[in-house]
Amino acid sequence: MKPRARFLKAVKREAPDKVPQLVRWGKEVGERLSSIYGVAGEELGIRVGNDAIVCQVGINAYMEMSIGDLQEGETVTSEWGVVYQRQSGFNNPIAYPLKSREDLKHFVFPDPFADFRMNQVKEVMSKYHEDYAVIVDLSSSLFEPAMAHLRGMENFLLDCYDDPSWAGSLLDGLADYYIQLGLRAVEHGVDIIRIGDDIGTQTGMLIPPDLWRELVMPRIDRMIRAFKKIHPEIIILYHSCGDFRPIIGDLIQLGVEFLSTMQPVGSMNLSEIKKEFGAKVAFKGGLDTQQLLPHGTPAQVRAGVKDLIHTLAVGGGYVFMPAHLLYQDVPVENIWAMLEAVKDYGGYPLKKLR
Amino acid sequence: MNELQAIATGVERGKNLEVPEAVKTALNNGIAPYDVLIDGLQAGLLAIGERFKKNQCFIPELLLAARAMKAGMEILRPLLVETGAKPIAKVVLGTVKDDLHDIGKNMVGMMLEGAGFQIIDLGVNVSEEKFAETVKNEKPSILAMSALLSTTAPNLSTTIEILKQTGLRDNIKVLVGGAPITADYAMEIGADGYAPDAAYAIDKTKALL
Repeated sequence: MKPRARFLKAVKREAPDKVPQLVRWGKEVGERLSSIYGVAGEELGIRVGNDAIVCQVGINAYMEMSIGDLQEGETVTSEWGVVYQRQSGFNNPIAYPLKSREDLKHFVFPDPFADFRMNQVKEVMSKYHEDYAVIVDLSSSLFEPAMAHLRGMENFLLDCYDDPSWAGSLLDGLADYYIQLGLRAVEHGVDIIRIGDDIGTQTGMLIPPDLWRELVMPRIDRMIRAFKKIHPEIIILYHSCGDFRPIIGDLIQLGVEFLSTMQPVGSMNLSEIKKEFGAKVAFKGGLDTQQLLPHGTPAQVRAGVKDLIHTLAVGGGYVFMPAHLLYQDVPVENIWAMLEAVKDYGGYPLKKLR
Repeated sequence: MNELQAIATGVERGKNLEVPEAVKTALNNGIAPYDVLIDGLQAGLLAIGERFKKNQCFIPELLLAARAMKAGMEILRPLLVETGAKPIAKVVLGTVKDDLHDIGKNMVGMMLEGAGFQIIDLGVNVSEEKFAETVKNEKPSILAMSALLSTTAPNLSTTIEILKQTGLRDNIKVLVGGAPITADYAMEIGADGYAPDAAYAIDKTKALL
């Protein structure tokens, strides 16, 4: 079975020959793995057994890999006017273009039609799409860019109460931008569009679910409708870190059929979630990156993968992935243990637990 | 009593425009500034903190309440200074080296300040030496440190080590928190306490005194 067929079968909540995989990492871990395998970029993902390739075209590209040449402590200003500082292998937003709500009047969103934005998508489609599933990542999409990149977290959280219609206009501007960008990706024939906002914390939702329903949900609806209008079968993947269980039902209603990152925190009881929503949505992620992967032993990691597969992969509908990118605090032995365990326990029909 | 209830309810509901007015009304009616603080502003903040602990409200609602409390304090602070009211204790607060995340740390600061502590906030990316130097100079009762990343959490431990080496560790209590931190981890690195969120941080800080 080709990786693409395997991946898409799992997304359609069926059981392929084995659990597909999509493991990703930060710059330092990527360099370490590259030096071991002697390949980089997409080839490295394929080498460790990934079945899909992600093209990050959203604003979070600035946080992750795209300006990876930045040295620790250095700063850069993005085309959105956000200043990022590299610290601990991550580009952190430290200054925001919307200093006051007034600034939105003169704020110019980047051009979604700029040629370079689809460079990676075009290359990946022509080189890999025959064999591998292609995901175009439009994250972070609405609430998170408004909060974490453009306005500052505390400011935007208060804006949502002080001036909800202003908060709505900022989210509309973001939705408009991402609709154009996403439509271009859909036209290139990609398999999956990923929308994402981190709206979960360790213990529950960051904002009241009703506030999310009022402010964010209608804009996600608008995005998904636009994509499905030109390609009704396009698969929509939604990502949030942390606990976002209270809105999983809403996301399914909007046409989301694939969820990540399934971080096992707060009310994210993965076995309950699989039971409640598994008939309507497929899952990706779930392996703890906060305790198990950095602090666990290889044997514990192996047991964790086995347990996770028996929680989320039963009957299909699951793609293996850690609950975040791998960072330099994860020992290499644990990465090997994890990859090996996916191979050992991921074949369908799943082996009996004991 | 109704005046104090109005202040508390105003803080709890995050009414930053109404709270200062309510504080003025209470003071005009002859209620002592200290009572306005304890039974008005603080009561409101503690009430929403309790709701937060029970997952009955969310982070923005805590921010709104803290902002309303701050607005009330603008009126009250000069009067409290006159009466010589003292903070419960001094807390030095900061996010560890190489970590730039601060909303959790800021919320702990707001809640503790609201609960009557004096806060010295060193900001983000605070080195071990800076923490140690501030502990030495300011002589706080509590050092509260935050780490949001699993990769920066070890800097909590190195800071505690430096405090030990410089002979400062025994003079203070160390409280730690942040997404990848657990009570077990806190104990393992030799901290005195851990709180999972800003509301619990109040209880924990009081308990450590």
